Amino acid sequence: MGRSQPTRLPLRRPEQGRWFGGVAVGLAAHLDVPVALVRLAFVLLMPLAGAGLFLYAFWWLTVPAGDPADAARAARPSAVARLAARQGIVQPGRRLPLTDIAVGAVLVVGAGLLVAMRSGADLDLQWLLPVMVVLAGVGLAWSQLDAVQRGRLKERAGGRTPVGVLRLVGGLVLAGAGVLLLVGQGTGRGVEAGVLVQSVVAAVAVIGGVGLVLAPWWLRLVRELGDERAARARESERADIAAHLHDSVLQTLALIRARADDPAEVARMARAQERELREWMYDERPAPGTSLAGAVRAVVAEVEDSRSGPTGDPVAVEAVLVGDRVPDADTEALIQATREALVNAVVHGRPPVSLYLEVGTAEVEVFVRDHGDGFDVESIGPDRFGVRESIMGRVRRRGGTATVTCRPGRGTEVHLRVPVRSTTTLAEPPGATAEPQVQAPVPVVQVQAPVVPADDEGGAR
Amino acid sequence: MSGEVPAVPAATVGSPVDVVLVDDHHMFRTGVLASLDARVRVVGEADTVDEAIRVVHALQPPVVLLDVHLPGGDGGGGAEVIRACADVAAHTRFLALSVSDSAEDVVAVIRAGARGYVTKAIDGTALSDAVLRVAGGDAVFSPRLAGFVLDAFGAAAGDVATGDDELDRLSAREREVMRLIARGYSYREVASELFISIKTVETHVSAVLRKLQLSSRHELTRWAAARRLL
Repeated sequence: MGRSQPTRLPLRRPEQGRWFGGVAVGLAAHLDVPVALVRLAFVLLMPLAGAGLFLYAFWWLTVPAGDPADAARAARPSAVARLAARQGIVQPGRRLPLTDIAVGAVLVVGAGLLVAMRSGADLDLQWLLPVMVVLAGVGLAWSQLDAVQRGRLKERAGGRTPVGVLRLVGGLVLAGAGVLLLVGQGTGRGVEAGVLVQSVVAAVAVIGGVGLVLAPWWLRLVRELGDERAARARESERADIAAHLHDSVLQTLALIRARADDPAEVARMARAQERELREWMYDERPAPGTSLAGAVRAVVAEVEDSRSGPTGDPVAVEAVLVGDRVPDADTEALIQATREALVNAVVHGRPPVSLYLEVGTAEVEVFVRDHGDGFDVESIGPDRFGVRESIMGRVRRRGGTATVTCRPGRGTEVHLRVPVRSTTTLAEPPGATAEPQVQAPVPVVQVQAPVVPADDEGGAR
Repeated sequence: MSGEVPAVPAATVGSPVDVVLVDDHHMFRTGVLASLDARVRVVGEADTVDEAIRVVHALQPPVVLLDVHLPGGDGGGGAEVIRACADVAAHTRFLALSVSDSAEDVVAVIRAGARGYVTKAIDGTALSDAVLRVAGGDAVFSPRLAGFVLDAFGAAAGDVATGDDELDRLSAREREVMRLIARGYSYREVASELFISIKTVETHVSAVLRKLQLSSRHELTRWAAARRLL
C-alpha cells in the first residue's frame, strides 16, 4: 500500500521545462497530472472569453517562481532538518530574460511606429492598437513580479537590476505612448467644448497608467524587504547556533575525552551539555526574571551540576513544568525552597529524582520526589535549620504549605504550595496563547491526592 | 530513567512480544536490543521511513518501537510511518521513542496514532514494560507527556470537564491521574494513591490518549495543522 497520503507539492513555477512563465509545469507538478494535459486545458479555456489567458496571467503574477521539490523540502517539519544548513541554492548561469527584452523591444518599436503614423497617415485600427500597447506596457512592468524571484540573488546586493529598470522604463514609455494615442484620437476630430474634459480624462489616464505601472515596483520592494529580513533573521539564528555548538558542545566533548577515566565526571558533563542543548533546541529562552519555569529550570541545572548522590554519582532530575508566570516575591521563596528540597533529594535520597511544577491561577505547586527512604521531619532537631527552616519556613511565611510525605518503598515526596495573585499567569511556553482565563474568584478544582493522613506538618510517616 | 513506566504484573507475561525496532541510529538500536528483556523479542529493524513502512507491512508485529525523527519518505518522520501503516493498525500498535522533549514532536506522533511515548533515557526493564503495556492495548505516558497534556488541556488552570463526553477538557479524575504521572508515579503507585485499580488507571490514561488524538483544542490543532496532520 505504501504511501497512504502522497503529500502534494506546493505550487511553484519551476525554471525547468517552462514555455512561458512555468505556470503549466508548476500546476502539473502540484496536481500530479501530465503537463500536456494542463497546457491543453489552458488552450481549451482560451476561447471562453479568454479564461485560459486570464488564469495563466493570474497565476504567473501570484505564484512565486521556484522548484516545487525544493519548496516542499523547505516546508518540511523542522524536526527532520533541524540543524541542517539553510543556505540558499545558488544556481550559476541564470539565463538572461532575452525573450522579455525582445518582446519589450518589439512593443517599443510598435509604439514608435504608431506615434509616427498618428502624425502622418491615419490607420483604421486606431482604437485597438493603442489599447494593446497600453496593455503590453503594463504587462511588461508587471512581469517584474516574476523577475523578483529569478534575479533575487543578484538583487540582494543592490535591490534592483538593469533588467528591472529596463522593464519599468519600457513599460512607462509604452503606457505613455498608448495614453497619448488614445487622448489624441479623441481630440483629433473631437468637439472643442470637450477639450477640457478630455484633458482631465487624459491626465487621470496618465496618472492611472503610471500608478498601474509603478504598483508592481512598489509591491516588489515590499516583498523583497520582507524576504531580506527573514533571511537575515535566519542567518543570525544559524550563526548563533553554530557559535553555541562550537563554544559548548565541542568543548565539552574535548573535556569528556580528556577525562574519560572519571565516569562520574563524564556523566555530569554529558548531562549538563544535554540539558543546555535541549534548552537551545526545544525551549524558548525566556529573558531572565520573566519566567518562573525558567527560574526553576535554572535551579535544577545548578543542583544537577553541583551536587552528587550518596554514592558520588551525579543525579539527573526529571523536571516536568506545567504553566508559567512572571516570578514575584512569593514564587521567589518557593524557588528557594524548591532548591533546598532538590538538594535534599539528590544528596540524601535515591534516584530517580523528579520535580513537578504546576502554575495554576491561584497557586503554584511544586512536588519534589525521590525514591529514598526519606527522613522524619519530627526527628529533625529544632536547632537544625536545614529542612525545617529552609524549606518549610520559607513557604509558610508566604502563606503556603509544605508537606513531606515518606512511605517505605515509595520514596519521599516534598509538596510545596504557595498562593499567588492570579494576574500574571503567562501564556504557555510551547507557544500556545493562553485562552482568556476567567480571573474571577478562581474555583480551582484543587484535587489533592489523598495523602497519608496526618502528615501535614510534623508526622511524616 | 527507571520509574517512568510502571511494572506490568508478572501474570500477564506469556510468550515474548514481537517488536519491530525503527530508529536511524545503529548505536541506539544496538543499545535497545541489548537492554530489552526476555519478554520482548525484536523480529525486525528499519532505519528509514520507507523501510519502516515496508518492514511493518511485511511482519505486522504487535508492537513497533518507533523513533520520532526518521530520514526518508516525505520527511514526516515517525508520524508518517504511522499514517502509512494505518491499514494494519488493527493488530499493530506504535510506541514512540524519542530523545526530543519538544511538544511538537510528541503531538505529531500521538495524533498520528501512536499508543504512547517514552523518552530514550528509559531503561530496558521499563521499556519492556511499556512494550507489553502497549501490546495489551493500553497507553503509555511518560511524566513529560503527562505534563504536556496538563498544559495543553489547560488543566493546571483548573479547566476541568464536567461531562464524560467532552473531548477538549480532562475530567477531574483524569487530571489527577495525569498529575501523579507527571510527578513521577508509576501506574501502580497512581492506583494505590487514588485507591483505584491499575486497570482503572489504564482506562483513564487511554481516555486521555484518545482526547489527545481527537481533541480540537486550539493548542493541539495548531500543531497538528502546522504538520498537516488534519
